Amino acid sequence: MKFIRTKAVALFLLFFSISPSFAKTEIHWWYGNSGFLGDVIIEIAKRFNESQDDIVVIPTGKGSYEDNLSATIAAYRAGDHPHYTQVYDAGAAIMVAQVKNGVVIGFEEMGEKYGIDVNADNYIPQVKNFYADADGKMIGVPFNSSTCIMYANMDILKKVGVDVPTTYEEFEEIAQKIKDAGYIPLVQSHDPWIWTENFFSRHNLLMTDGNNGFDDVPTKTLFSETPEFITHWTKVKEWHDKGWYAYKGRGWGDNQAPFNAGEAAFWFGSSGSFGGIKDLPINFTTNQIPYWSSITGGKAYPTFIGGAANWILNGHTEEEYAALAKFIKFMGSPEMDLYYHNTTGYTVVTKGGGQLAETINFYRTSPYHKTAPEQLNLEGATIPGGYRAGNWPQIREVIYENFPKILTGELSVEEAMKRTDEGASKLLAQFAKTL
Amino acid sequence: MKKVQFKSKYTQYIFLAPTLIIISIFLYLPIVQTFRDAFTTQDAFGFGRFFAGWDNFKFVLSDPSYLVALKFTFIYIFVITVISCSLGLLLAVQANKVIHGKSAYKTLLIWPYAIAPAVVGVTAQYFFSERFGILYALFNSLWGFDWTANIFDAYIYLFIAGSWKQISANFIFFLAGLQTIQKSVIEASLIDCRSSLRRFWTITFPLLMPTTFFLVIINITYGFFDTFGIIDTTTIGAPSGETKTLVYKAYIDGFRGLDLGAAGAQSIIMMLLVLIITIIQFRYIEGRIHYN
Repeated sequence: MKFIRTKAVALFLLFFSISPSFAKTEIHWWYGNSGFLGDVIIEIAKRFNESQDDIVVIPTGKGSYEDNLSATIAAYRAGDHPHYTQVYDAGAAIMVAQVKNGVVIGFEEMGEKYGIDVNADNYIPQVKNFYADADGKMIGVPFNSSTCIMYANMDILKKVGVDVPTTYEEFEEIAQKIKDAGYIPLVQSHDPWIWTENFFSRHNLLMTDGNNGFDDVPTKTLFSETPEFITHWTKVKEWHDKGWYAYKGRGWGDNQAPFNAGEAAFWFGSSGSFGGIKDLPINFTTNQIPYWSSITGGKAYPTFIGGAANWILNGHTEEEYAALAKFIKFMGSPEMDLYYHNTTGYTVVTKGGGQLAETINFYRTSPYHKTAPEQLNLEGATIPGGYRAGNWPQIREVIYENFPKILTGELSVEEAMKRTDEGASKLLAQFAKTL
Repeated sequence: MKKVQFKSKYTQYIFLAPTLIIISIFLYLPIVQTFRDAFTTQDAFGFGRFFAGWDNFKFVLSDPSYLVALKFTFIYIFVITVISCSLGLLLAVQANKVIHGKSAYKTLLIWPYAIAPAVVGVTAQYFFSERFGILYALFNSLWGFDWTANIFDAYIYLFIAGSWKQISANFIFFLAGLQTIQKSVIEASLIDCRSSLRRFWTITFPLLMPTTFFLVIINITYGFFDTFGIIDTTTIGAPSGETKTLVYKAYIDGFRGLDLGAAGAQSIIMMLLVLIITIIQFRYIEGRIHYN
């Protein structure tokens, strides 16, 4: 009798200890954020897991964006890949090209295939277009979308007695005053992203042939053929010589450090940097990135989004995709979108999130969050809202190998642009071969 | 005398099997794969694959930044080997003379050897950071040191970071080498020659040649392959790609740029270079060394 009872208890315990893992569908989500942003991702998964009982999302951090992309590829080749993975802007062309190979399932395609309402129109256009294919069909699921903005140290500006500039012309008028007061006027953290890719978008200029790669596979970058771009970098070199702009190497944080320490008046960084610096003891504002009004005729154009999207990988079960769709819907809900916007400074990606922000008067209490969505939603651009160029991570590497030489005077602006174009053409041709 | 022999012809293969399997999986298979990648063009996920002939090699060799990396790699290996061998030898000779607290000296000098290159890089960062680096501040006050803009300053940064760890390795081997030299030889030389410097160069150093030769090979291998972690945590190629070694460039192209063809071709070129260096060492240098 006693024996039977023990057995029954054991069975009972066994049943209840394993049953939850049988019933729950596991969704693996790999990401390439670390530190504060990584913690927020874990928090999102936790909130979703607590909101329902059927699905468990398991987030796994793989290091940086680059690390996560190569880890995802290695896992795919080994047949052990996650359902959902975060890939950054420069890798978008690589991921979109994988739809036809059956590696990536497009977001809208997954909806059609499994009869799930993915509600693609809910995403704001500048974000949606960046991760869509040539027909405008969404492939990647927008997630952490930032754009480059200008952070301004108001204490310095007040002391010097100048206003925040909206154009580079205005910056040139005040830079010497800031320098004379003993501060660095300007630092910026990313040559390729801020002062190359987004120079082109901010001034409504095409960056590659083939309509930024949206109409045809691009064969070359247009750096040396764009006089406006050459003028800009000629100016940058001048500023550097005059001490108006300080370059601290290619490290993101090394360039941000003088601003964090209250030594630099302006820093160009990501709107997603806001969450990490909001508690610093400096009095700063966020502003749209300046533009040359001489180039655009006084008009401001939207920038490209940066950051990353999540991509759905093929090779899992229908049940798991249905579960993933629920998670995507959860992340795209106005509340979660605004939560992420508020915590990190990344922009809202859904229309619902934007409306909710208006409804609750979010920007009245947090005006600094408004900069990025406003800059992204500017109208009138005739170029596509992104670029589809393969091997872009390596092209960024070529930019890093040539542009700093402009500042040291080793290369003239024209020569540096020419060499970058040559390097980029070879890499684009290499990529085109595999399509 | 009784001869021990296996009865079956196949028994020895069973004993060899574990090693062979491990070597095949972790060494031969990747080499075959590298050759396959080097001669194919493919996208990041392995699709669109086709035979490319020598295209990847042409692509790599026509890349100006590859030649920059090649040049830097040789400069780097040469300087690191010279600095770390000579300082290692100096410390070993001095430590060998110490009578009190010998093991304390030894332990302290050996410590850095156990540190991983990536950690060495992070440590070096603390010395060369513009914001809080002691050496940055010192050098900057001397000649306006700035490794983000000046190639030679970036070289100095990496020379110091790369040699520091290796001095320990050289130290311990030189010390062991010094202790194998027979007392009687040293005593005899004491009678013949009063100059300690001359005694060192004519007696001690030649007797250390096998150790030196071994260490030169070890240091070259280190400079070629292990400095990867240091570069990735310090300059990342700053100021503008001049401080990438061949291994680092292959990594950047293969795992950041996701171009496995180019990375495969670079690996094979590197393999050939190492092969040539090894042949030169063993044929021409080793012949002049006398093992006792």
